[in-house]
Amino acid sequence: MPIIPVAGSERFATSPKTTAELRESVTGVRLHDIPPAAVADLDPLTYEVVRHRLTAITEEMGDALKRMSGSVVVTDCNDFGTAIFDEGGDSVQVGLVNTQLAASLDMAVKWTLENRAGNPGIGPGDMFFCNDPWVGGGLHQNDASIFAPLFYDGELFAWTGAACHQVDLGGVSPGSWSVAGRDVFWESTPVPPVKMVEAGTLRSDIEDLYLRRSRVPKLIALDLRAKIGANHVAQDRLRRLIDKYGPTAVKAVMRHMMTDAESRLRGKLRALPDGTWSSVAHQDGARAGDRAIYKIVCQMTKRADRLTFDFTGTDPQVEGFANCTFAGLRGGIMPIVLTMLCGDIQWAPGGLLRCLDIISEPGTINNCTFPAGIGKGSVASAWATQNAVSECVAEMLATDPEQAKSLMSVGCGTWDLALLAGVDQRGGGFVTMICDSMAGGLGARVDQDGVDTGGLNCIPMGRVADVEINEFSFPILYLWRREEADSGGPGRFRGGLGGSSCFIPHDSPIGGVHLVVSATGKALPQAPGLSGGYPAGTQYDVLTRGTSTRYSFAGGRIPATLDELGGDRQVMPNHAETDMGPDDVYYTHWQGGGGYGDPLLRAPDLVAADVRAGRVSAGAASGVYGVVLAGHGTVDEDATSQHRTQLRRERAGVA
Amino acid sequence: MKIDDNTVIGENGTVSCAHCAAVLGESVAQPLARALRRERPPADAGPGVRADPATYTDRPLVLRQLFCPQCLVLLATEIAPADEPSFRHWSVTR
Repeated sequence: MPIIPVAGSERFATSPKTTAELRESVTGVRLHDIPPAAVADLDPLTYEVVRHRLTAITEEMGDALKRMSGSVVVTDCNDFGTAIFDEGGDSVQVGLVNTQLAASLDMAVKWTLENRAGNPGIGPGDMFFCNDPWVGGGLHQNDASIFAPLFYDGELFAWTGAACHQVDLGGVSPGSWSVAGRDVFWESTPVPPVKMVEAGTLRSDIEDLYLRRSRVPKLIALDLRAKIGANHVAQDRLRRLIDKYGPTAVKAVMRHMMTDAESRLRGKLRALPDGTWSSVAHQDGARAGDRAIYKIVCQMTKRADRLTFDFTGTDPQVEGFANCTFAGLRGGIMPIVLTMLCGDIQWAPGGLLRCLDIISEPGTINNCTFPAGIGKGSVASAWATQNAVSECVAEMLATDPEQAKSLMSVGCGTWDLALLAGVDQRGGGFVTMICDSMAGGLGARVDQDGVDTGGLNCIPMGRVADVEINEFSFPILYLWRREEADSGGPGRFRGGLGGSSCFIPHDSPIGGVHLVVSATGKALPQAPGLSGGYPAGTQYDVLTRGTSTRYSFAGGRIPATLDELGGDRQVMPNHAETDMGPDDVYYTHWQGGGGYGDPLLRAPDLVAADVRAGRVSAGAASGVYGVVLAGHGTVDEDATSQHRTQLRRERAGVA
Repeated sequence: MKIDDNTVIGENGTVSCAHCAAVLGESVAQPLARALRRERPPADAGPGVRADPATYTDRPLVLRQLFCPQCLVLLATEIAPADEPSFRHWSVTR
């Protein structure tokens, strides 16, 4: 059945307005403002003190969230975002965790100002909930956000916001990753902004409406309170800051943070040549059983001090759950702008966005319209958008010797979802995604290899839970978690390695666990290299039925390879849902980072060292890097030189 | 001006190999027009390509590479659907 448009849904997909524009249109609430002279009169010392305090507050929000949450995804893996906004929702500061989330929260705040100020109203002590990616606040429905207005002297002074990944908010499949889904109605129902907390009181009717949809409502309730707590922490700290320095000074700092970020980014852009860089990002499969490949095309134009991201040519939205909304598209751009262009600039997206233009046609896979399926949007089309943007920005930076040091080939091409559900060892129901693919390989740089299992562009402070934490929390035992040879893209500088995990159900009262698998990048790599560098390896997941692992354990041995498992090996498709029995073993192998430069130009000693460390196989050392190793793993210089000459001609097809 | 690891633009707008100075393109409008182009099966990219793409898709895929015509240094690499043109281009105007 095709995706049939729903009349009236357009009002949930407006383009975000600036604070200045909203000041003209919002009624029912007084927005705090300061004269421009207040910014000009700001003394540097006050600016630095308050600026750093605002940054610290976003980190404190994250600390509060982690301490209150009971979800390993949050407490151990940092899949959350925090931010502070000005009175009109422009982002003053985003935290170092999930920058995709932080880059979409402002949209939800702005929508709320436009659509909720009159009814039900926005007042002191209120907090709004949202998990509608068309509105913003997250990239798929699992990204549930709480954002709160901060009133001071009767005026709306600022907003604070926190979002985190909820492990289950309903829908056909556990974890809300409805792999067979055709449109959003198979998924968790998106909730546009609603007043979850009214004048300081959590509304039980709205909370029940929210929690009723989840398979793990108690955990979701705890996360809800964690986000409310994070906002309380931020508002307490902000109020003290205002008490100390006065509202005018604090707001002047907020304004200056954004204009400073804007002007510094403009300065960087002016130092680069004008030009156009184009890239493409592919995804294989938009739902279970789908064998198509979809593309996102990005043409980035840099003129003077502006960047335009034009996604014309991107495929239309699809039946499946891999589309993303405009928030996802924006969330695909901002992490790259922050990490590659703004490593030394304040992370104030409200200012940075003034340097960017976005051209995208609604109804495409990374700017879909309601009711297209978006359950996987964050790690599908949003992530693919990020890959395409990453390539363009990196190529632009390569033209400047100094700024080239900040570029990175595309890191881990997407998320390798392994989601488990069932009954845990304590007899309670559970749902979780295993976040081991948070340890993706980072892309190679112009002067160094990518960091092995170094993380993800979009979650700079993301991390994997300890194996023991996962085993304690969920009914599984690990056979291994390790870096995988050859998963980093070959190049003069090698992409960082991805890794793999392998586990077996253990100690569940019902024997096995339910498994949801969703991962693109299996047919073709998603982390391309740069400047001739090869892409990172493909993703690869295997379910082996009926293994002899229990007998191995009983004999005091832990299988260390798939071959040692025995059983019936099934290579998993991109998207699938199944049950794992007590003897079934799941192997999930996520992606590394792309390489940089011609691998035949890599220093042979580095290749030899990689082989010794198990980072590169002997086959790849010879076949891709052209390095011949002597008996003890040292480089045979003469043989390598000859082999490289031969390989150089062979690969180019020159006789 | 340097473009990346392998290419530079001369004062006259000619795009050349950074390693051997061979001309790769007469202008930035077609910067790699003279590069050698070769397409091979994705598995030729090495053991990082874990499984046969046909396991997941019916669409033929290809490893597409560009080389300097003189020193044969590798200029660009991509794995993409064989029936799709390359969308990876650049043009520097200043």
